[in-house]
Amino acid sequence: MTEATDLASRAGDRDPRVGLRAVAALRRLLEQLEAVQVRSARVQGWSWQEIAAELGVSRQAVHKKHGRN
Amino acid sequence: MFERFTDSARGVVYGSIEQSRRAGDACVEERHMLAALLDAEGTRTSVALATIGFVASRDEIERGLARARRRGGISQADEAALADLGIDVGEIVARVEQTHGEGALAPARRTRRLWPFGGRTGHVPFTPGAKKVLEQSLRESVARGQRHIGDEHILLALTARPGVVADLLAEYGVTHTAVLGALAPRAQAG
Repeated sequence: MTEATDLASRAGDRDPRVGLRAVAALRRLLEQLEAVQVRSARVQGWSWQEIAAELGVSRQAVHKKHGRN
Repeated sequence: MFERFTDSARGVVYGSIEQSRRAGDACVEERHMLAALLDAEGTRTSVALATIGFVASRDEIERGLARARRRGGISQADEAALADLGIDVGEIVARVEQTHGEGALAPARRTRRLWPFGGRTGHVPFTPGAKKVLEQSLRESVARGQRHIGDEHILLALTARPGVVADLLAEYGVTHTAVLGALAPRAQAG
């Protein structure tokens, strides 16, 4: 019984769907985390330039994405 | 496309607008369409759901949706997949909320001012995702060689498009395959 469960879970590890789903979910989570952190930085008075530098993207990119928040 | 919608499917579309409006949301999302589908009685959807053995209450569904929302749009199936990588979504949410407040990871509510082209009084725009569900419902109908778009095609579309709503329905056994199976006898007769 335990052996069967073990085998099943190991087979699951190789299922590309699980891995791909994890990647897609992580991407979504990342977007929300970014929104939270950018919002927080803005509240603390950070400029778009400063935020962009930390994120490693252009000021325009970060402003376009989060400017409305 | 809308002329192909049956009265019942139109009822679901108008119902989803009403659901959005009542909740004070600025847009119609997939979850509003789900709510409208579940509220409608005597529909092919309700028969299919009964055949599958779906018995969840509306409150239970709302709680499931709220749970995923608080986790930044992560369903239980997503959480399980991430746990496989050693990522504990619950822990991430807890830490973020500790610093930034409850519901910090929930997507920001869109407000009407963000939709300059849909700003007409009383007009509730559909999100791109919700529009895709309507488009998918047409494809579901065409795929079965049918001419009409019924409420059951909207249900099929919701289960076919990846996301929190489809994942939540799948938790109760309501998958695309299960819905197709539940609709099959009726489809042959009609």
